[in-house]
Amino acid sequence: MSENLNLKISSSPHVRSKTSTSDVMFDVLIALTPAAAFGLYQFGWHSALLMLVCIACCVGFEALFQKIVKKKITVLDFSAAVTGLLLAMNLPPELPVWMAVIGSFFAIIVVKQLFGGLGQNFMNPALAARCFMLLSFSKQMTTFTYDGVTAATPLTILKAGGDVNIKDMFFGFTGGTIGETSAIALLIGAVYLLIKKVISPKIPLIYIGTFAACIAIYATVKDYNVAQYTLAHLFGGGLMLGAWFMATDYVTSPITSLGKIIYAVILGLLTFVLRIFGSGAEGVSYAIIISNILVPLIEKFTVPAAFGEGAEIKDKKAHRQELKEEKKAQKEASTDNEVKEKDKFDFKGIMKAIVAICIITLVMGAALGVVYNVTKDPIEKANEKAKTEAYKEVFPDAYEVRNPELDLTEINDVIKEMGYTHDTIDELNIAIDENKNLIGYVFVVTDDNGYGGEIQMVIGFRNDGTVTGISFLSINETVGLGMEATSEEFKKQFVGKSSTGITYTKQGAVLENQVDALSGATITTSAVCDGVNAAMSIMEALKGGATGE
Amino acid sequence: MSFTFKGGIHPYEGKELTMDKEVIEYLPKGDMVFPLSQHIGAPAKPVVKKGDRVLVGQLIAEAGGFVSANIHSSVSGTVKVIEPRLTSSGSKVNSIVIENDGKYESVEFVPNNTPVGELKKEEILEAIKAAGVVGMGGAGFPTNVKLSPKNADEIDTIIINASECEPYLTSDYRRLMEEADKVIEGLRIALRLFDGAKGIIAVEDNKPKAIKLLQEKLKDDPDIKVNKMKTKYPEGAERQLIYANTKRYINCKMLPADVGCIVHNVDTAYAICEAVREGKPLIDRIVTVSGDAIQNPCNFLVRTGTNFAELIEAAGGFKSEPEKIIAGGPMMGKAVYQTDIPITKGASAILCMTKDEVAENEPGACIRCGRCVSVCPGRVMPNALADCVEHNDIEGFLEGNGMECCECGCCSYICPAKRHLTQTIAGTRKLVLASKKK
Repeated sequence: MSENLNLKISSSPHVRSKTSTSDVMFDVLIALTPAAAFGLYQFGWHSALLMLVCIACCVGFEALFQKIVKKKITVLDFSAAVTGLLLAMNLPPELPVWMAVIGSFFAIIVVKQLFGGLGQNFMNPALAARCFMLLSFSKQMTTFTYDGVTAATPLTILKAGGDVNIKDMFFGFTGGTIGETSAIALLIGAVYLLIKKVISPKIPLIYIGTFAACIAIYATVKDYNVAQYTLAHLFGGGLMLGAWFMATDYVTSPITSLGKIIYAVILGLLTFVLRIFGSGAEGVSYAIIISNILVPLIEKFTVPAAFGEGAEIKDKKAHRQELKEEKKAQKEASTDNEVKEKDKFDFKGIMKAIVAICIITLVMGAALGVVYNVTKDPIEKANEKAKTEAYKEVFPDAYEVRNPELDLTEINDVIKEMGYTHDTIDELNIAIDENKNLIGYVFVVTDDNGYGGEIQMVIGFRNDGTVTGISFLSINETVGLGMEATSEEFKKQFVGKSSTGITYTKQGAVLENQVDALSGATITTSAVCDGVNAAMSIMEALKGGATGE
Repeated sequence: MSFTFKGGIHPYEGKELTMDKEVIEYLPKGDMVFPLSQHIGAPAKPVVKKGDRVLVGQLIAEAGGFVSANIHSSVSGTVKVIEPRLTSSGSKVNSIVIENDGKYESVEFVPNNTPVGELKKEEILEAIKAAGVVGMGGAGFPTNVKLSPKNADEIDTIIINASECEPYLTSDYRRLMEEADKVIEGLRIALRLFDGAKGIIAVEDNKPKAIKLLQEKLKDDPDIKVNKMKTKYPEGAERQLIYANTKRYINCKMLPADVGCIVHNVDTAYAICEAVREGKPLIDRIVTVSGDAIQNPCNFLVRTGTNFAELIEAAGGFKSEPEKIIAGGPMMGKAVYQTDIPITKGASAILCMTKDEVAENEPGACIRCGRCVSVCPGRVMPNALADCVEHNDIEGFLEGNGMECCECGCCSYICPAKRHLTQTIAGTRKLVLASKKK
């Protein structure tokens, strides 16, 4: 051939689909847009700033890292941008920008690049970063403002036994992270991903289904309004964002069909356990990153049978007869050919996976037990120390605070009768000076009507009945709201009070026996006041005795 | 209801370019090249020598063993030389080169008009063997060998693979549209070899005209049915085709005959008919010349040994400069680096593309999207197999059923990261097979 052709050769196939990695990632970005836009509308410009900062930082850190280690710079595949946007959508709207930068660094450098870059990370980078930030900046990461004021999220309210508005939750008019509040906006994005076939509905549907089933059973057992409670859990917190956008993350979810089912069921169960029995109200992020770690194991046990695996040559005639009959039956039932394929179930694989997961759970449980036993004594010692320090704080003048180990049953009966039904006096200590003179009393009181359950406080009194100070031994209120009770400013208000019936006000304390309520945490304020009042009522009686001495 | 299986892809079909163009007979002008290996098995042995005059249909090389095939001249002329020549496989193969005198003087073919029911089995196999018929779908397995399985009494189904799922290819479709009777006759002759066996002609549902034509012709024949297959690639993959039509599974260690099936290509059935009825050896076939670089895409009836360049010229030459020329379909065909290559018995198409999609897309990191797994008709995990290969973990490759790969190319096609999955897996399969032979 005389013509000089410049031909390229390569191995077959010679055609490629039009979809590339960057198309897939860009589709995810598009799908996140409705929820991100809603976050912007809802929470204002600071949330937009956070989203921009996270995306810019993730892309920037990735490029920088790849430049430094002399790898090919691949930020144009948009995967870092997806991580950035997802991270921002998982942050509270008022988070300081520098924290978002640190979160982006953790997501891209620590979780993604250090493990080998795209496709190699064993956890969802955005979620791993969120959990890292929850531990590092727990206060800021759990402070949610809505309509300009700090407010509890629907799930927190739900956990405390309060009522929520399902409609508001569905449309997103509640507090929460930037991207999680609007279920409808997230679902619009999810539908887009399903239509574009970027994700399969398998994981999200089974995940949400398992979770909803558990919640419904729990609600039935607890005699809640099942529909209301279940819906609130479905639209509350990060479930929709997590199930549709993060549990479906290709890199950190199983590829195999059966693996996807197992993974989704584990996700549903873990989310249920973490939300209902965990200390926090939210459980999706932790559920997903824990399940992410199980993915290689799940995948190992769910490798699908190859085409024709186990096909037999011998005894063909009987086999064929069987098949013929089966086919006939199938024809009669006029079922689709493809249906049967899907019904194939790998029991061996599933059993293996279950056994392995059980063993892991057992080992983890045993490890937890060992840790508990080893740390039991040090923890008790630490508790004692905390107590001593609290005594010192409420009664700085005391040389020593002693527990005379009185039987407090009668006293507690008395305060219950007086109307302090939520309060219990745990300890009644005496404070003495260097010369062993009685200079006052130190009460340890528990009020079980706090926002986050029990509040155990220490209250000191002089002989004349004036409060020397209060302190908290255990308090589990909402960070940023009820937790503010532990601030010096709040505690200081009680010093010098001497008559029972301390009340709180939101308009600024004027009266002698008034304190300023904590903003957004009246339940906490009320619980603390009740505790102090209960102790004070006993103190009334002791006052007389002391002066008579 | 269409017959199908799980997996597969839907690439751009490109069949509209040539689908409705009638076959044009092309008479070659230049030298004819007959590679001695254009089938699976031992190379044929030349029975002519330099300077010999040969006629159309004259045997020029005879089967070199049980699994081998005869080769005939498709023109009249003089044997110029016997030397290694480049073939579409990319390597040089010993070939008989014949100088075409343009006279097309033919040996006399002896027709046989015995009714099918009275044909003797040995007679049929002998005629097919003599005519050098091989599988014309591309693999080139000698047909007489395929039709003589050890368990002949257990064969109950012969499937004519007319799905033609490779994009661009329309040669089988044209054969069906223009020579349906001979294709059916070929199938009937093959069925004659197996008592009680039934025939199936499997056609993809993107060829409704062919389906209608066949149904019309076969409406009174209880032994042959026409199955409408779902249009997707690789609907015509042998194992998947057998499953789709009979619900029988075979794996890589088995042959179709192990589940009582034999699969033939449309053109093969036609060639069987020609061999038995006309006594005519396999010396021509339909070749689709297509692609976006071709001026005038069409279907040619081509004599084996014809040069690629001549055919491209006959199709009007290049419209624009091609970046890639493929012998066969775009999914499993072979890219060639020049056009001085002969048409062989298994050559179904010459595709000339202005753009090479492979070079255009640089491979990136696997994002574990699972698309390759969901499209794989062999139901293996191409991503995991390719990872095994990259880590030199042959055991892992075998455990992951790497040998079940049929190299259809779906995984490479669908991969958004544009990884060369098929290439990686196919290369390793060849290594494993080679080490087993040792």
